[in-house]
Amino acid sequence: MLGIIRIDGHEIPFEPGDNLLKVALAADVDIPYFCYHAALGSVGACRLCAVEIMSDDPDKVPRVAMACLEPASDGLEVSVSAPAAQQVRQRVIEFLMINHPHDCPICDEGGECHLQEMTVACGPAYRRYQGHKRTFTNQNLGPLVHHEMNRCITCYRCTRFYQDYALGDDLGAMRLRNEVYFGRFQDGPLESPFAGNLVEICPTGVFTDAIFRQHFTRVWDLKTASSICPHCSVGCNILPGARDGTLRRVRHRPHPEINRWFICDRGRYGHQYSEHTARPLTPRVAGATITYRKALIAATEQIKAAGDRIGGLGSIREDLEGNALLRALLNNLNGIFSAFNDPELEAATITAVNRIQNSDGTPSLTEMEQVDAALILGDLTAHAPMIDLALRQAYRRGAQLTVLHNGPTPLTQFAVTTLPVPPHEMGAYLSRLHERITASPASKDVQDESTAEIAERLAAARRPLLIGVVETLAASEIIALAQLATALGTDARLAYALPGANAYGAALLTLASRKTTTILEAIETGQIQTLIVAGTDPLGDTRLGSRWRAACQRLNTLIVLDCIATTTTAAADILFPVAAWAERGGTFVNYEGRAQGFAPAFKRLELLPSTAEVIADLVQCLDLYLPDAPAVLSEAFPGYQAPVPGSAGSLMPVHPLPTHIDTATRSDHEHHHKHWQAALTTWYGDEELASFAPALMKLAPTATALISPAAALNANIEEGAQVKLRGPVGTMTLPVQLDNRVADGTVALTRMALVQLGVGHGDLLELEPVS
Amino acid sequence: MNTKHNRQDLHSFLSQHPSIHPERRAAAVPIMQALQKERGYLNDAAIEEVAHLTGLSTTEVEELATFYTLIYRYPVGRHVVQICDSVCCSIRGADELLVAAEKYSGVPLGAVTPNGALSVLPSICLGLCDRAPAALVDGEGLGPLNKVGLEALLRSLGEED
Repeated sequence: MLGIIRIDGHEIPFEPGDNLLKVALAADVDIPYFCYHAALGSVGACRLCAVEIMSDDPDKVPRVAMACLEPASDGLEVSVSAPAAQQVRQRVIEFLMINHPHDCPICDEGGECHLQEMTVACGPAYRRYQGHKRTFTNQNLGPLVHHEMNRCITCYRCTRFYQDYALGDDLGAMRLRNEVYFGRFQDGPLESPFAGNLVEICPTGVFTDAIFRQHFTRVWDLKTASSICPHCSVGCNILPGARDGTLRRVRHRPHPEINRWFICDRGRYGHQYSEHTARPLTPRVAGATITYRKALIAATEQIKAAGDRIGGLGSIREDLEGNALLRALLNNLNGIFSAFNDPELEAATITAVNRIQNSDGTPSLTEMEQVDAALILGDLTAHAPMIDLALRQAYRRGAQLTVLHNGPTPLTQFAVTTLPVPPHEMGAYLSRLHERITASPASKDVQDESTAEIAERLAAARRPLLIGVVETLAASEIIALAQLATALGTDARLAYALPGANAYGAALLTLASRKTTTILEAIETGQIQTLIVAGTDPLGDTRLGSRWRAACQRLNTLIVLDCIATTTTAAADILFPVAAWAERGGTFVNYEGRAQGFAPAFKRLELLPSTAEVIADLVQCLDLYLPDAPAVLSEAFPGYQAPVPGSAGSLMPVHPLPTHIDTATRSDHEHHHKHWQAALTTWYGDEELASFAPALMKLAPTATALISPAAALNANIEEGAQVKLRGPVGTMTLPVQLDNRVADGTVALTRMALVQLGVGHGDLLELEPVS
Repeated sequence: MNTKHNRQDLHSFLSQHPSIHPERRAAAVPIMQALQKERGYLNDAAIEEVAHLTGLSTTEVEELATFYTLIYRYPVGRHVVQICDSVCCSIRGADELLVAAEKYSGVPLGAVTPNGALSVLPSICLGLCDRAPAALVDGEGLGPLNKVGLEALLRSLGEED
């Protein structure tokens, strides 16, 4: 039942269990506060949210209480403006300001400092205290977060977020009394993938953005626009800030169902790719820089000459508009289009999207926080960091997590059961789990205890979540996971971490199976003369890079549109540099199928059209008629309406998609004693765009060959020994690191190593010790 | 400080603690006390050792080590005098005692006298408000103190070998 409280005469409704501060803030009634945070709750540490509460008994005097600790009750009379409450707040501010430096003019937080605002709102304008201020030595917390402890007002928000909410253990509250210090045991980079949120959660300038600091501007000078993060399929809402034609920083923008308060560090710091010195900014034809107009003319000639012998590759990180227009152009020219450059990833993504569309709806992040059990396939921290953070919240509420993984993944720390499974055995394991869940009790095999335990835990859960990382699963395993969800009944929820910000949209536009293989084979047989590549790097692919490189030698013309310098842009005959995401408007479809629009935050000095604009210009030069992107999209998806940037987004209409069974391009499954299965092992910063963010990349783990201690013992390899890895494309020598989270017979390698060897996740390679 | 203490014994004693205490943070306290007893104070290596034994991170151990006033993160003298300067003791003259202590010991608060005999530290409330201004002398409560008594105390402790 809703109740009503009165704050200074305003009647405000509340939900049972809410505290006064939450109720007031929700109704836009200002009560000053510091330590309260919607995600972290109330602790009553700062004493700033003092209000006066009238007693029911008119003979009793009103009392002053902390609004964050006072439950709302029906009919309660509250005063924020009462002199007694005002006086408490003023004194609190005066005390908090005793040690706070007067460095606002040179403080990065200035202009968005909560302490500054509260001091102006409640505090005395002058300091009475004349003594020494306590000072601290700052720590070097790595390349992302800058530390300035003298400014601290001891609200404990940082450790409450870092330890309690994000479950990190390398930032804490040290010492006591007037000396409380928030930092690490020793200097060193913060280890949490969510450390950057300290910048936003600190109410003053103790933790500030170390990247923004290097190219600083006052926040009121920043141009911002509602945007969507381009670094994974979660689709967090963000607010990029730019000035003078350069992107300076990224902060979170609240979305009630996705990221309410936070973003991950890939999202916050990956944006530096758009400022990378190697970023292509001028069109190139045959290696020479040229004007945009001339590049268009050159491309037009080549496209006309190719006739229908043309192919187009869209991208899982390219927006819906760019992909849709490229497909429309290819359809018009009778060419072939795919938004993928790896047939297995194409099959896996399309299958996953098909399964999502056939489920009762994929849970949002806020729904994932409420699950009571989860089966996790793969490394969510690396592929969808904010899903990891949502599951950490579920864990805090008591959810039991089970992780099936090929290599190390941070979520295993919070799991009740973790099982390293070699990539090739994942499918078989899922079938066993399925049998176990569906079999009658009598027929259950008592041998396999851990499978039984996992099955029982999932079956007993009220709201189990089944979630898989598409990039490290085959299409058949994606289907197997969906079948598990079906077997568990209607309360089970199914989700997939897709391989790119717009992978869902790319799958919807690619539609049919084996498009990528068709394009690749057509290039190899000379049926395609001209290839248009928009926002993807087929030549730098892990598994097929070398095949693409060889195939593209046969092309007459390779036309590339991209905003980063990749192997493919280096090989381009005609290169169109395009706008990065903060410089253009567009739409991404996230892992739920939620289409979210983003608006341009700024324009660069250089002429950088979006992919959709380049293709529209090409269409014009070719004298073709094609409708614009919104029209193409509403034709492709009946009922589709472009989502307005800043809105909650809209679900893509259900669209018929084929279900894929394994494309069987994975290298020979037969086992040989020298053969090991390659497993992609990544970290939260590993993503195509973010890999051009220099500061974030400083945190990348060093390349090693990770194998399990048991496998190492079998093969007589010791920790730190050098091993030679041989793949179909190349060889490399790496030091061995033993890790019991790696599956048997599996060697976990970085993406760069896979590219160099020419193997994909799950492919076989040879490993031998270097004598 | 017993430098001859058998390392192996200490380790087997310490490694029992996590199993006795289901809460890892609780196990950290007796382990820190044991290490301090052997070494006089906890250096960074000792913090790492406690972390290893308890499964806590070094930061989590550091939080505990720096919170408790009887755990020392810096070297201390053979005798430690902790003078309370919380509310009651402060009202009753603790601040003057702290200034005087620096004069009598000849070294700043927190530093060890050159002969290694003595350290004087300010302390958070000792709960000896009835004896304010109070101090903890090698773990024993003492008070009420005055400057004359403090000087005599520090002289005698500081001259001991």
